[in-house]
Amino acid sequence: MDMAGEDASIEPKIMSSQWQLNINNLTNTSIVINPTSNSNVESSACSSNSMADSICPPIWNQPVSGQSLGYCDMIVENNTSTSNTLGNGTSSIIPVRPNAILRESTFLRDFPVILPSSLPHLPADSGFIERAARFSCFGGGNFVDMMNPFRMSESLNPYTRDLASEGPLEVLAGKGSKSLPVMQTQTHEMNAIERSMEVPLPVEQGTEGSSIKNDKMIEHFPSSHDEAIFGIGLSAHEFAEAEFSGSGIQGELEDDAGESSAKELGSKKRKRTGQSNNGSRQAANETAMDHAEIQQQGYQNRASSKPCGKHDKPGSQGSDLPKEEYIHVRARRGQAINSHSLAERVRREKISERMKFLQDLVPGCSKVTGKAVMLDEIINYVQSLQRQVEFLSMKLSTVNPRLDFNIEGLLAKEPRAGPPSSLAFSSCVTMPYPPLHQSQTGIIQAVLPGLGSFSGPLQGSVNPQLTTVGGRFKESTSQVHCAWEDELCNIIQMGFTSNDHLNGQNFGGHLKSEL
Amino acid sequence: MKARTGYSTSLKQEFLKKWIKGIRIYSNFKKDMNILERKKAIKLSADLAIASTRNASTRWSRTLTANISKNETNKLFVEQIFSDSEVIKKEAPSRLMARSNRIASKKIWRRSHITQIKARKMGPYAVKASSIAKKLVKNRTKVLKSLVPGGENMDGISLIKETLDYIVSLRVQVDVMRRLASAAENSTRLGLSSKCSVHWLQGIFTVLDHWCAMVH
Repeated sequence: MDMAGEDASIEPKIMSSQWQLNINNLTNTSIVINPTSNSNVESSACSSNSMADSICPPIWNQPVSGQSLGYCDMIVENNTSTSNTLGNGTSSIIPVRPNAILRESTFLRDFPVILPSSLPHLPADSGFIERAARFSCFGGGNFVDMMNPFRMSESLNPYTRDLASEGPLEVLAGKGSKSLPVMQTQTHEMNAIERSMEVPLPVEQGTEGSSIKNDKMIEHFPSSHDEAIFGIGLSAHEFAEAEFSGSGIQGELEDDAGESSAKELGSKKRKRTGQSNNGSRQAANETAMDHAEIQQQGYQNRASSKPCGKHDKPGSQGSDLPKEEYIHVRARRGQAINSHSLAERVRREKISERMKFLQDLVPGCSKVTGKAVMLDEIINYVQSLQRQVEFLSMKLSTVNPRLDFNIEGLLAKEPRAGPPSSLAFSSCVTMPYPPLHQSQTGIIQAVLPGLGSFSGPLQGSVNPQLTTVGGRFKESTSQVHCAWEDELCNIIQMGFTSNDHLNGQNFGGHLKSEL
Repeated sequence: MKARTGYSTSLKQEFLKKWIKGIRIYSNFKKDMNILERKKAIKLSADLAIASTRNASTRWSRTLTANISKNETNKLFVEQIFSDSEVIKKEAPSRLMARSNRIASKKIWRRSHITQIKARKMGPYAVKASSIAKKLVKNRTKVLKSLVPGGENMDGISLIKETLDYIVSLRVQVDVMRRLASAAENSTRLGLSSKCSVHWLQGIFTVLDHWCAMVH
């Protein structure tokens, strides 16, 4: 199993180097063009190890966007699932991360260079600070309450909302995870908050369980800072609307479920949710697949509810609540009521909402801010996945047909079920093929954290299939298969009928030692 | 967590079943394939299998299936696999073109209008900054569209949605293939003879036959 772990860790390194090479158009064509050579490389642990190490450092130092970080996360994740020994794999991958993070931060630092010239005129607007502060309240809102549909009756009145005296600065400091200048975060914060608030709401419409809702809200909320740089990357008039988004944010909030309670809450609630987020974020990140499902429902629901959900407000808010067709969206202050710009805003929020899901799905994207950077990560991830499929299919085409005894291993759901069946294997197959039982155990251990459990329907239908197995093998090889087939029968039956019964075999110790 | 494991597991099982089926049919088609043909068979079956798990509800799955079927040699193979007629024809290209033209003209208007507004409200630098940012985003969106099958004519919102789904499916595919590959690799490394390497596919099929049969 040591070798198994090693190889499993080498393979991703090879693959990562292969992938990196592709991206950087390096001329190491022997790896890129000829994937079959990879299997040869892998077979010799030492050489491949050194090769990967020699290739990786120059790649990491190149200004490729932060996909390495994301990919390393994936590698580590896969390693944990497929092999028992991680030491070799992770130790070589972890040193990479600081480089990737550094690159990302330098990338982010480039943006401030462009922006400051545009900012000076903004703070001069006294109302700007006010609105910024207001948004921090919004952002600090308890999203759980926001989700409560019965609070729709509360109305958002921009003039009666209390302004947090602390303003966004302290709130951001409380978050403490961003390195951006505060000035920019102010402007972005507003966009961020409005987006972050917009985001959980449509999702909420699609989801059933409140626990999922809470996870999403809490999870999405701290990424409002990530969204802060969305303003840079996102289209057109983000900056222009920064001034107006103060009052406009109410429009977004009203559009969906009763989020009006958000306005009341101060910044300390925001900090609280920020802290509670860290715990739930991992859980939320782990439910990526569920998110994908829920998100799809959320999209459909949102699309259908948009026309009808927006007229909940009776429209008694004040002068800046224009009615427009059937979508009652409160316009941002000073902005022309224009169906195009409103539609544009809606569209942008949809996009950012979906970007958030992608953030959970793509590893290494949780710290990424900005649409462009995140798109880059997504592209790299998709490319890497596609290349992995190519590579794996090539690898499988070279596989030796001695996969026969894998089935129980592949099917075993739990480690508990695995060892007993492997014991059964080993006990029966000693005579004709001593190497075989080792392979079985190796295989089984390797794929144990596996797919579903088929042990239920197995018992009834095993025998008929075994005859076909035996038949096929007789075609291909010689007389040994008679004995083999019988052994196979016994093995499989024993394996499945005694899943919970640990044979007190001596092989038990032997098997474990192979892990 | 439990729900998520259950969902992904069932997805993986479904994918595996269909993949096996595809490989088997393909090998019945063509005996004695060389290594490249084998790889093509594996990849083709895997792609078809993962696309069919979506039951043609997503654009990428439909496009993927359609692209595979375009190749004449694959067509029969595809038809055999999908004898239960899951394949749905792609939307008529004319409709897509009209929609993309409409979107393009809308974008042109929007862009010019927004540039005016921005130039009025902000300084020249901000306009330039955001246009640079937009260009970046646009370039990357273009790349993403080329990656995701069927992404060419989609707008930003649905593109991201499709990408999400596509990523999930790719992950399932990679995960299952990886497990199989590592299992095979372990068996090879642990000293099995290569006596049966000639009938490679047979070897896989026996295993996968078991599996299929047990599932049903």
